[in-house]
Amino acid sequence: MSQINENSSMPSSLDNRRRMRTKFIQKGKLLLALYGLVLPTSISLLIFSYYPKIDVFLMSFFRWQPPSVREFIGLRNFVEAFSDPVFWQSFQLVGILLVANLIKLWPGILAAIALNRIKSDRLRYFTQVCFVVPMIIPSMIFLLIWKSFYDPDFGLVNRFLNASGGMEFLNWMDTAMPALSLKLAPLQTQFVDPVFGSVGGLILLGAFIFAASRRKELDRNRWGDYATLMAGALILPLAQLINPSPNTLYVLSIIGLVVAWMLWCAKRMGSAWIAWPFLLLAGVAVFHAELWRLPVCLLATLVLVEVIRSRKDEYEARPYFRILSLFLIGTGIFIIFLGNIWTQPIEQFKEGTPAWLGNKDLVIPAILFWGFPWVGTVGVLIYLSGLQNISQDVYEAARLDGVSPIGMIFKIELPLIMTQVRINLIFMTIGTLTMYEIFLILLGPDGGPGGKGMVPGLYMFSSAFSEGRFGYACALGMVLFVIILLLTIVYQKYVKVDK
Amino acid sequence: MRTQIQHALGEVVKLGYLAFILIFAFFPLYVMLVVSFKSNEQFLANPWFFDSLADWRWENWAVGWNNVSGYICNSIFVSFLGTGITLIIVLMCAYAIARYNFPGKNIIFYLVMATMFLPGTVAALVTLFDLLRRMGLVNSLWALVLMASVSGQVAGVFILRNFIEDIPKELFESAQLDGAGHLQQIRHIILPLSASIISVTCIMDFLHSWNNTILPLLLLRDDQLLTIPVGLFRLDGEYVKQYGQLMAGYAISSVPLLIIFVFSMKFFVKGLSAGAVKG
Repeated sequence: MSQINENSSMPSSLDNRRRMRTKFIQKGKLLLALYGLVLPTSISLLIFSYYPKIDVFLMSFFRWQPPSVREFIGLRNFVEAFSDPVFWQSFQLVGILLVANLIKLWPGILAAIALNRIKSDRLRYFTQVCFVVPMIIPSMIFLLIWKSFYDPDFGLVNRFLNASGGMEFLNWMDTAMPALSLKLAPLQTQFVDPVFGSVGGLILLGAFIFAASRRKELDRNRWGDYATLMAGALILPLAQLINPSPNTLYVLSIIGLVVAWMLWCAKRMGSAWIAWPFLLLAGVAVFHAELWRLPVCLLATLVLVEVIRSRKDEYEARPYFRILSLFLIGTGIFIIFLGNIWTQPIEQFKEGTPAWLGNKDLVIPAILFWGFPWVGTVGVLIYLSGLQNISQDVYEAARLDGVSPIGMIFKIELPLIMTQVRINLIFMTIGTLTMYEIFLILLGPDGGPGGKGMVPGLYMFSSAFSEGRFGYACALGMVLFVIILLLTIVYQKYVKVDK
Repeated sequence: MRTQIQHALGEVVKLGYLAFILIFAFFPLYVMLVVSFKSNEQFLANPWFFDSLADWRWENWAVGWNNVSGYICNSIFVSFLGTGITLIIVLMCAYAIARYNFPGKNIIFYLVMATMFLPGTVAALVTLFDLLRRMGLVNSLWALVLMASVSGQVAGVFILRNFIEDIPKELFESAQLDGAGHLQQIRHIILPLSASIISVTCIMDFLHSWNNTILPLLLLRDDQLLTIPVGLFRLDGEYVKQYGQLMAGYAISSVPLLIIFVFSMKFFVKGLSAGAVKG
């Protein structure tokens, strides 16, 4: 550019060049200043945020114990992780916690609704402030005070139970519940286990039926979809059948196959596929000893759905499906609760000083009860922001239609803050999968008595910092990361669909 | 008449439910206060309510103060310095990104944003610890200051960039004509105009680093370097438990944030709500 300028206009060329130069210098100076301004952020994020995350990925392929040991071992960390019973068990605990989250959600939602409905502005603001105050106290203090609640001698939980007669009730339950489970045992061993594989299989069948009945049209395409699902269910059993002692390459190719299947499934079935990979994954976990049951279970589901749908149309069939799946799931949960949890007397309640955090049977109930009434400030504020967007007209119209205040919760407020509830559910899910501070503080790095309180994050923490297996910890972290990434993607899609 | 009764009943149910929740939410704090004035024997005898004033064990608070005062100083050092540094860096970056177009701007912005969408890399703690160890930052409060100033940046840049883009361009241009440099523009235009949003983000950062537990647990070894969460955890672990002294320590260590809260209640409520909405 500057050369053309020079040649074309002789008289002002010197002037022009100077102007260009000052402009250029000015621009350079500006750029330099700007880069200087953004430099601290970029450098610090690159070093302290990106580098560790990339390093996790790399080091998961190493046997690594800083500062001395550092040896490339390929995928052995991952193979070990997948065959590590402690790791699997930790996901079992996560499953329990996730189910509990669905219950723990409610007090917060109701609190937000009640808060939003307070008429006087001043009182509402005051209550809102009250909800914020617990955030101000360091969370560690709450943790430690709750820990003191569970102390066998001093703890207020035991004191309260002793004073109110709850302890006697628990003591009575301690003999009654195992007796009940003994009565239920024949039903389980003679009927449920041979037919469904396990109680989990029963619940899974219910979930399969529910998911399969969501299809609305009876078009030709469905056979292709069924075949796709069947193929997905068959991948792992067949893989196990062909080569029972897999090496790394084999495992990798199977994983590749599964991913390819998921992509194909997503392309073919659109948003209807979302539930299926998870259901099949759950199926693999449930039937891990007898994988052939998974395709059989799926086949039974599809046949059942086809048979019912061939007699009834969509609207008529829906209640049948709903009742059937709810019955199966309900029965499964019933059997689990009454027959599989409290099977042995715990024998802690007699003296009135059960060690809630020190007994392997009591740890999980104690953790589930932890933080009662489970109202998180952030959750309440998220719901509140949704509730405040509901216009008064909606309430007015509902009132004219004669909707009662309690009916309004389910007909207006809950549907309208569903987005917020989902957002919160995402946070809770990710939090449950990643968070381990509570378990570390309450139970120590080994996950308490019998390792019952071991969550994946804590296992990662303790394998790095107690056992010194840093590379293995990185591999565990990568597995966790992939699971969370998948969940987040699915959730994002799910949330957007409804917006 | 009937509807009036119904209304009143509705109010009672609502407020009753909220009171129930709030009582349970505050119950641990109440217990903390009650027990902090008791010896272990008194705690065993009556955990639910204060004893008569003559039996109060004031010395618990003296012991508690001796236990936690160092932790409080450390926490204040880390959180204030960390938040301050975050604020400066974030302002600079947000200003540059919001006001100018320059090559690489989008890359930097997405670099910042992407960390928000990479949650759940819990294992990064392992490698981060190794990194800090290699930098010789183990057992040093500066590591915590550093990490506090890194973790707060993402949300800060995101929020402030949106805010600065809404400030009219003419303000900056006239300041530039008067010969103000970049830093002066930040100080004299952005800082006063976005004071409220800045304090909101600052409070979020501050709370975050104040409550940070795992990293100090790993990094800090010396007792006189511990921050509040880790210090309390260690106290809880190594004592022949004198619950009164422990609880007094807890109470004292929650005071600094309470003081800040009283002076900035509006921002706290707003900030937490804003954080909720953003999330």
